[in-house]
Order: sequence, then C-alpha cells, then structure tokens
Amino acid sequence: MSARIGAATSGVRVAGLTVRHRRTVALDAVELDLDTGVHGLLGPNGAGKTSLIRVLATVAPPTEGRIELLGLDISAHQERTEVRRRLGYLPQEFGYYPGFTVREFVSYVAWLKEMPAHSVPRAVERAVERVGLAGRLDAKVKTLSGGMARRVGIAQALVNEPDLLLLDEPTAGLDPEQRVEFRALLRELGATSTVIVSTHLVEDVAVACGQVTLIDSGRVAYRGTTASLTELGGTADPTASGAGSPADSPQTSSPSSPIERGYTAALRAHRDAVTRGKQ
Amino acid sequence: MTALNCRGRSTETLRLYGRSRGLPAAFAFLLLTAALAAWAADWLVGHPHYGYGARVPVVVFGPLLASAAVGTSLHTPSDELDRLSVGPWWPRRLAHLLGLTALAGLVLALAVPGEPDRYGAAAMVRNLLGATGGSALAAVALGARASWLPMCLYTGSVYLSAPRTRTGAATSWAWPMQPGPEPGAWVTAGTLFVVGVGLHAWRGVRREGR
Repeated sequence: MSARIGAATSGVRVAGLTVRHRRTVALDAVELDLDTGVHGLLGPNGAGKTSLIRVLATVAPPTEGRIELLGLDISAHQERTEVRRRLGYLPQEFGYYPGFTVREFVSYVAWLKEMPAHSVPRAVERAVERVGLAGRLDAKVKTLSGGMARRVGIAQALVNEPDLLLLDEPTAGLDPEQRVEFRALLRELGATSTVIVSTHLVEDVAVACGQVTLIDSGRVAYRGTTASLTELGGTADPTASGAGSPADSPQTSSPSSPIERGYTAALRAHRDAVTRGKQ
Repeated sequence: MTALNCRGRSTETLRLYGRSRGLPAAFAFLLLTAALAAWAADWLVGHPHYGYGARVPVVVFGPLLASAAVGTSLHTPSDELDRLSVGPWWPRRLAHLLGLTALAGLVLALAVPGEPDRYGAAAMVRNLLGATGGSALAAVALGARASWLPMCLYTGSVYLSAPRTRTGAATSWAWPMQPGPEPGAWVTAGTLFVVGVGLHAWRGVRREGR
C-alpha cells in the first residue's frame, strides 16, 4: 500500500505537481488540498488551469509530483481505475460523435465508466434532466445550439453521480438564465461532492464557489475563500487596471466588482512576490 | 431472462461503440469496394485484349481502398472523453482492427475467388493485411484521419516503379504487385500487419487537433 499524502479519503491532495510540455512548464510544484464543496479555479489565459484539470481528470500524466484523488493514489493503475469510476469531467472541448443523440452520447460515457448496465437508462435521464434538456433526450447532439451542447457535456460528466467533478469552462456558451441555473446546480452538487470549476468568469466563482484558487504561470498565486478574495478587492485600489495585459483580467459584466479587484490584487501581490524572490 | 438482458446490453454497447467510430459507413464502403473489385476483375479478365495479369490493379487498389476505410474508422471525435475509460482500450482496439480486417478480407476474397491466375483471393488478402498494417502504423504516427495517405503514396509509387521480374528484394518491397503465393511478399505484408495492429493496440491513434 502506497503512503498517503494526508489522512482524508475524499477530495484532492496534490503535492509537488509539475507538468511540462516539451520546454514549457505548465505547472510548477503545485500544492493543493481540496475537500467537499465547490472550488473555483481562476487565472489568466495560459496560467495552467486546463493542464491542472487534465491531470486531475487522469487524462494527462504529471511530469512529477503526487496526486491523491478520493483517497487513492492515481499513479497506481488499479487506484486510477477506481477513481475514474467516481469521476466526472467536462473538457474545455469535448467534441461529440456524429449521429449520436443526447441519450446515446450520455449512455456511451456511462459505458466508458462501466456503470451497471441496468442503472444506465435512468441515470442518463436524470443527468439530462438536471441540465434542463429532458425534452431533447432523443435530439441529435449536432442539431443543438452551442449552449445546449455544452449542457450535454455537463450531463455526461454527471451521469455517474461523481464524487469528484472537474469542469473546464463549463459556462462557456450558456446564456444568463442557464448560467444562473447552472450555478444553483453546482451548489447542489458541492453539498456532497468535490467540485472544481475552472473558469474565466469571476461571477461564477463569486456566486457558486466557496473556495477559490488562483493560478498564475503554473503556480498557485492565491488560495482562500471566495469571501476573502472579495474582501481583498474591497480594500484594494479600485482604479488598479490589472496585473498584466487586458487579457489577464477575468471577464465579468461588472468590471469594478470587489471580487474582480480582489482577483487583480491577489495576482499583483503574487507577481510582486515572485519578482522580489528573483532579486 | 438475465442472460437475455445481458445479451441485449452487450448488443447496445457494441452498437454505441460502432456508431461512435462510424463503423456502419465503413461497412458500407467495404461492401461497395468489394462489389467494384468483383466487377472490375470480371470485366478485365473477360476483355479480349487482357489476361489474368490485368487483375493486378484490382488486387493492388481494392485492398488499398479497404485499408483506408479501416484506418479512418480508428478516429474518435472525443479522444479526451475516451481517455476516461475505466476499462483498458487495447482489447477494444485489437478487436476493432481484427474484426474489420476479417470482414474486409472476406468480402474482398469473395470478389476475386480462387487464384485466377495467382491474382486472386490470396493476393487480395495478403495486400489487405499489408495495407491495413501500414494504415494502422500511420494512424499511430499521424492520426487516424490521415492514415490512408502514406499507404496511398507507397502503393502508387510501387505500382509505377516495380520491376517486371519477380526476383530478389523486389518480391519484398514491391509486395502489393506480387502474385498470391510469393513468400517474400507475404513476409513483408504479414510483418506490417502484425507491427501495425500491435502498435495501434498498445499506443492508440495519435491525438489530433492539439
């Protein structure tokens, strides 16, 4: 039996996680410890959010470090397999199989997760209902709008009622009403599961997430509660335009919201600390 | 009742997997290729100016078309989700390639039955094995959607440049042009098939679009 990073048997424990893509360091010795609840993963473009989500989803291997999901060390084949049964994952771009209906697509993912066959039809219907597409069960995925297709992606991630749910940009393409409903669904799921949401939308984090982790250049720049990040924005200079280029700023309908200012302040503080460390 | 339910569920699983890889279209393409090969072989041999040697293009390009269908069927539109599979992929990849190759071999062999004269079923099956192995290797190296290209280039080059004499190394490197019983050609085609299918089962196709 491999040594455990911590004593907990749920959530995510990451120690010294490094991911390199050829010469680029996507993640640099990341440490994380996340339990049941909804966790927001924020950061500028190219910060390493998707790399982190993919490694946690077991679809990409880490270069270095230890990862324990749901109390299981995923470097071991058998434990990784067990984690996959209890994992839900929405990739940034998931593609879909031409000709598949919503029901077939979600059933296919249920088969990949080796769910007991007798439970699949009901589980598929329930997952599709939860994302508000019950009336479209037998519609072809390719005929759906972008927002609906995204919801189908969310449904496939929910089909096995996962203990660990990883969502990469889940609200991309959703309209405001769907976003509100989705955030409510996230809060419901977070009551019993560990949910990690990678997003550019600070509002998603403000409304749906209890905890937030900010990633910048492959490192954890900030960790804390959403309330503490918002507080940071309350005391920070509201005229601060951002820690870098405009692309670094998160998208929000209210550019001067306290949480956005908190995001900017945390990012700037991290970068100042990194610069001081180099001097 | 339970056995019936199990069989029903397995059928449903197979159906979903088959549709996820576009297998119905691949089956239709294989049948069409075999029908075309049968018609072309019959027409060429029946033509007053041609003999059995006229079947060479049929046994060269029929299997090539079939291998293109097999190779492109290895494409998955959602590689990221497939990677989440709880079960191992290698048995599925192996069954996919072996099953489809067996079907293609059967219909192509029926298209040119026997050995009239030596550009018949054996040459057809051998060329199918070699071309499918080459396509599988290309799928691992380049991705499934471009897997037909290297074999097309190679086969086209061989067709244009292979020597008329069937001796020496040419029986190996120009294997698609050889008559059915040529041992050197079988060794090359068989090796390509075993290596291609084995490597594909082990590694899967190269990810596309990243």
